[in-house]
Amino acid sequence: MNSHEITIVGYLAVLGGIATLQVLATRTRVPVPSLGNLLTRAMRSRTGRVGILVAWAWIGLHFFAH
Amino acid sequence: MNPRADPDGEAEASGAGCAEAVVSAGPARPAARAIGVLAGFREPVVLVLLLIAFFTYISGKPLDGVLMVIVAVGLAWDAGRRARARGGVSDAGQAVGALELSLERGRAHGRWRLLGITGMLAGGAVYAGVVGSFSRYSWPATAGIIGLGTVVVLIGWHGPLRHRRVAGRLPLTGALAWAVVLVFGCLWELAALLLQPSITTGSYAHPTISTLTDPVLSTWPGRSVLLAAWLAFGWYLAER
Repeated sequence: MNSHEITIVGYLAVLGGIATLQVLATRTRVPVPSLGNLLTRAMRSRTGRVGILVAWAWIGLHFFAH
Repeated sequence: MNPRADPDGEAEASGAGCAEAVVSAGPARPAARAIGVLAGFREPVVLVLLLIAFFTYISGKPLDGVLMVIVAVGLAWDAGRRARARGGVSDAGQAVGALELSLERGRAHGRWRLLGITGMLAGGAVYAGVVGSFSRYSWPATAGIIGLGTVVVLIGWHGPLRHRRVAGRLPLTGALAWAVVLVFGCLWELAALLLQPSITTGSYAHPTISTLTDPVLSTWPGRSVLLAAWLAFGWYLAER
């Protein structure tokens, strides 16, 4: 396995982790919050809300903007 | 102005506590106002935004950096101003009032909401199609992204678009599991970025997410699909 494949496996592991935690949160009684609950909680304060929205805007800028 | 539930109460109080400690509510004096604004810079999110601005700037995207600085300063000013104003009506009272108005509004305008959602879906599809037709990093694409990003951030600044019941304290173990996965993802991306030949040159051996998405984003349909996903996620966040 070369470094290109190892890097991609790392990204896939992160995606798998996110999917697993979301399934645990929504389909089982394991005490894991869903991603939605996590975001709602983080966005409860104005600074948290604006910070996350700006992070979202930054993603758009990063991939598309000059 | 759209009356919306402002759930800032508890968390905002803790977040802006440092500003409150410095400035008490009362007649606005220039010096006290200035100290209040400076106290807003102690918000962790403001510091994170300033760090993002710095690294974005040195990685060759000065416009993104300037925009991040503008938002960080605005947020610091707002946090300081809110800390000063906290001596007035309580947050709990404001939240309850806003919730009652929101529920009444929801009942009265249920039908309009459906029409609004349909209109937004159509508008989003048009936006993704039009902005996706522009090549990456072009000025028309930049204007489209900055314009929409600004609108969504300004909408979200005043609170969620509709009230959501916030669960109590999150389970610590579960929250830690999320933190581990997300922080690992960020560090993995950062490692790939630092292993590139330079910060602005992509690497096949250590691809970043940007490098991996380049083939998709080089086509109009690919750009439009990802723009639609970005737009949908932004709306999802604005409703949180």
